[in-house]
Amino acid sequence: MTTAWFDEESRLTPDELLTVTFPLSRLGRRGYEEEPVQGFLRVVHAEFVRLVNERASLWQEVQRLRRRILSGEAGGDQPSVLFGEADAHVHAVRILSSAQVTADRYVADAQAYSSRVTEEARLRRDDIMREAQQHSDMILEEAHARARDAAVTALNDSTPPQTDRERRAAQAELAYLRTYSDVYRAHLRAYTEGVLHSIEEWERKEAASVQELAQGNDRRSIT
Amino acid sequence: MARLRESFARVAMHGDELPLFFYSDLFIKHPEVRDLFPISMAVQRSHLVDALVKIVSQVDSVNELAAFLQGLGRDHRKFGAVADHYDAVGASLLATLEHFSGPAWTPELAADWQAAYELIASVMIASARADEQERPAWWRGTVVAYERRTFDVCVLSVRPEPRMDYLPGQSVAIESPSRPKLWRYYSMASAPRRDGLLEFHVRLIDGGAVSMALTSAAIAGTEVRLGPPVGALTLSRPASGRDILLVAGSTGLAPLKAILEEVAAADQPPRVDLFFGARTADGLYDLDSLEKMAAQYPWLTVTPAVSADSRFAGETGSLPDVVARCGDWSRRDAYLAGPTEMVQETVARLATAGMPQEQIHIEDFGWSEP
Repeated sequence: MTTAWFDEESRLTPDELLTVTFPLSRLGRRGYEEEPVQGFLRVVHAEFVRLVNERASLWQEVQRLRRRILSGEAGGDQPSVLFGEADAHVHAVRILSSAQVTADRYVADAQAYSSRVTEEARLRRDDIMREAQQHSDMILEEAHARARDAAVTALNDSTPPQTDRERRAAQAELAYLRTYSDVYRAHLRAYTEGVLHSIEEWERKEAASVQELAQGNDRRSIT
Repeated sequence: MARLRESFARVAMHGDELPLFFYSDLFIKHPEVRDLFPISMAVQRSHLVDALVKIVSQVDSVNELAAFLQGLGRDHRKFGAVADHYDAVGASLLATLEHFSGPAWTPELAADWQAAYELIASVMIASARADEQERPAWWRGTVVAYERRTFDVCVLSVRPEPRMDYLPGQSVAIESPSRPKLWRYYSMASAPRRDGLLEFHVRLIDGGAVSMALTSAAIAGTEVRLGPPVGALTLSRPASGRDILLVAGSTGLAPLKAILEEVAAADQPPRVDLFFGARTADGLYDLDSLEKMAAQYPWLTVTPAVSADSRFAGETGSLPDVVARCGDWSRRDAYLAGPTEMVQETVARLATAGMPQEQIHIEDFGWSEP
């Protein structure tokens, strides 16, 4: 253990809650699970910071009221210092701070959203690629199988076709294979074109949105 | 010193409220300064607290602190900080400390902080002034070419004005016109070229504000801003005489390709083994050009590796594993760049295999920041 878990000399600060380490209980002895303890420490830390800040603003408030009473005692006539310049400034700082925190949250939300959208696009793209790969593997495999069969048939049937009947059969087989390859080609083309089409569609949409964005920027710079 | 440290520990308890108060105070007193900052201040606030923590904790080791402050002073030139701003910042810093110190704030403590801040500011301003004599605060860069290599990697070609001198392996911070005040580091992917063009490899990071702007086709033809070249991932000078191992994960290739070009220009290049890794074969976005170089240079071996596609014909597995099993590199100089995790893992593996620490070169700022 590198740091003592408790320093009796000074008062506890919130950050010590996040860095504190406890000795682990020996094996076989009962102890708390680490994760829930860490989680609880995080909650206590947040609450601690909140209380520290609350105390600071209460102290400011006490100072303000004290100034007011003192000036009332001293000044007699002017009831003015209800809200001095210094108080107004602290108030302005507080208002600007909360506006800034709101703006930060908007930006963080937008970023989280865009992160989700790109992640989804990435996954979708991986799916499409995988599907295309499987499809092409399948077509290839079947074509291979067919070709092998055809070759085997041709080998077994080594005697040249002599009769009209055999010639007709061979022509039929040839016609069949031709049709078959045509069908495959058409099939593959349709699939490829489908994929290409959706890519073009996607690109068109992206270009349009880029343009829209640019026009939006122009409009903003005009007004 | 002890008084400052104790006082800082007390105000630091207020967490994010501290920088929040500081910036609001600054912007109310000097509204013109607001324009130097991005819309969201969340990251900015933690940077401020980190810098304060670093300064307060290093207050005893003067040399180290001075180097840090000088870097900070130079760095702030590109953000548009000028000497006048330092007074404004000092006043708001003191107001913030006073606000959160409550009853503990005394005139003596105020004087201590004032003196400490003046010292800090004078070091930063002096280093910024010295830097002014040497180079501009930032360069204008026109994106003259945009090439989408894969789904999420783009190669940009940028013409800086004026010409920029740098060492191969160095990086610059880039600000895109559509994401004002957000700067991210990217490495130049080639040694300085005669035509002065800079090449950058940009990977789209999910939700990454700047990388998204830079990888969008709309970036072509626009003008970006470039900070000064920085970074220590450069060839050791004078040359060590050792052979070289380059390990690049994804767009971490950029600085290593620049180094490779520098090596190629030498009279007698050492042996170089370059490992280039990505998740899928598709992610090896620059393999063609690397293989061309390998065919041209007998001293160069390029090994592509893919971690998430077992059908890949070359090496498969995590890049650190591939590097470790492909040879004994302990007598080489190693240069590594890529995702932080991959770099750290490779460093650990090389160290275990007996490579001395001083032969391992990495960049220590987040080039891969979104």
